[in-house]
Amino acid sequence: MLEIDDLSVTYRKGSDALKGVNLKLHKGKAVVVGPNGSGKTTLLRATLGLAPISRGRVRVFGLDVQSIRTDTRLSTNVLEVYRLARLRVKDIISLYAELKGADPAQSLKMIDDFELGGILSKWIYELSSGQQKLLGNILALSFEPRLCLLDEPFDQVDQSRRLRLAQLLRDFPGEVLLNTHEFGLLDRLGDSALYFMIEGRLFGSFELSQLTRLYISRGEVAGALVTLDTSYGKFSVTLDRGEAAITTSTSLERLLEAVA
Amino acid sequence: MAVISYYTRSLLTNKSLWGWGVLFMGFWLVLGAYIFVQSGEIATAQAALAYTADWYGIIALFSLSSLSTSIAYSIYYASPALAYCFRYTKLRPITYLLNLLGSSSFLGVFLSLIMLGGTYALYSTRFGFNLKPSDIPAAVIFSALSGAFMLALSSFLVLVVNNYLGLRNVSFVSFVPLLLSYVFGFGQLFTSLPTVLLYSSPMTAMIDLLYHFYSGYAPTVVLTNPSSAALDWRLMAASLTAWTLVLLLTSGFLLGRIRPRSIEEARQA
Repeated sequence: MLEIDDLSVTYRKGSDALKGVNLKLHKGKAVVVGPNGSGKTTLLRATLGLAPISRGRVRVFGLDVQSIRTDTRLSTNVLEVYRLARLRVKDIISLYAELKGADPAQSLKMIDDFELGGILSKWIYELSSGQQKLLGNILALSFEPRLCLLDEPFDQVDQSRRLRLAQLLRDFPGEVLLNTHEFGLLDRLGDSALYFMIEGRLFGSFELSQLTRLYISRGEVAGALVTLDTSYGKFSVTLDRGEAAITTSTSLERLLEAVA
Repeated sequence: MAVISYYTRSLLTNKSLWGWGVLFMGFWLVLGAYIFVQSGEIATAQAALAYTADWYGIIALFSLSSLSTSIAYSIYYASPALAYCFRYTKLRPITYLLNLLGSSSFLGVFLSLIMLGGTYALYSTRFGFNLKPSDIPAAVIFSALSGAFMLALSSFLVLVVNNYLGLRNVSFVSFVPLLLSYVFGFGQLFTSLPTVLLYSSPMTAMIDLLYHFYSGYAPTVVLTNPSSAALDWRLMAASLTAWTLVLLLTSGFLLGRIRPRSIEEARQA
């Protein structure tokens, strides 16, 4: 379904945003956790065909992302891709439902479920950051996609709606590649593969169900599940023992700072 | 495909298009009627009709070039959306282009009819003759073709810049059609441009065709000088059609290879 082989993305010469990333998602969900600026969004953008691939390959449903055309099975919450024309929210929903060959009723129901009816007559720029994020999530989830790419879906969203969204994602029948910089709510997503992304490199996978058993320690530790080789030192991820439990921090960034 | 209706609505609610494409053109029409010509300078209905058609041709062109600027901005702000939609929705480059073509042609006719009505009312009042356009259906057809040309030109320019040169040049190229309109518009109004240039330039072709179908007279090398050499409107029509087709085909090719640029980059370039 999604195969990423040795992917590097370069925005500026000499500075790779992604460095030789490998990821395979054939069933279920994959969650990528990493600090801000680690390359999580770039990974999604490369899969969407929006980032300059300098090496490697992204294959979606067996086709190279550079050559894929008119395949409606992938959706995303990256709002940038919904700005085809200057439109109000209700028109964006109608237009993209038509372009996806789907029924807009599902999106409108989700808008209603998230108590967002007031945004339908607004322009995107009139929405708050949280409303924009929720609109992106709704557009991503409501056109019956097989594969859904979600960039920080919980960011700026209030707690009650976060819980509702987590439930939706847990019940979502297709495949999901989701990135976040926070550990909160991950335990509500159900069985998923977990990856860490640091400085453009992807580490993993782990089982999300093991999240509470994962520890991190400075340096190389014998029997570690993986060693994170970063510019500020090496860190080992271990099971059931180590310097700090991963879930004791709200984000990987804070955790690495604490251990370092 | 619904893109055409959304895109047309988007353009029709574009305040910049109304400001520069309609209101500012109204200002030019007033200048043409009351400032650039002295009272009593035009004594016959024939002279008044020719003078009115000059202004209609030029103002319609200026108005259409404002449309072109709006189209250019909307394409480059949509580059990530287009790159995504061509991959992950049913939208194809050719479908998108044809939808824009329909929308631009409609807007071309819409703007041109506003200019036509405004010119007729204002200049008839000013000169005291009934300066009715001679062939409104033909004017409508060539307004649609002019709208299609403006889409072809603006999409070609913005796609070349977007795909190969970087967004720093986009602001400039989006105004190129407007600049060309002013240069060729006033150029043909007051000076004697080479005939080959007049036939090969789509800008002068648009002015001359609209002039011809408003006045019923053959366009001349210097529009304000009826005694200068006459031009063949059929060649003008052929030139405009050829330009439109070539630029549309090239734009379709470039659209299929659109390079997604971040909206932030577009804003800050």
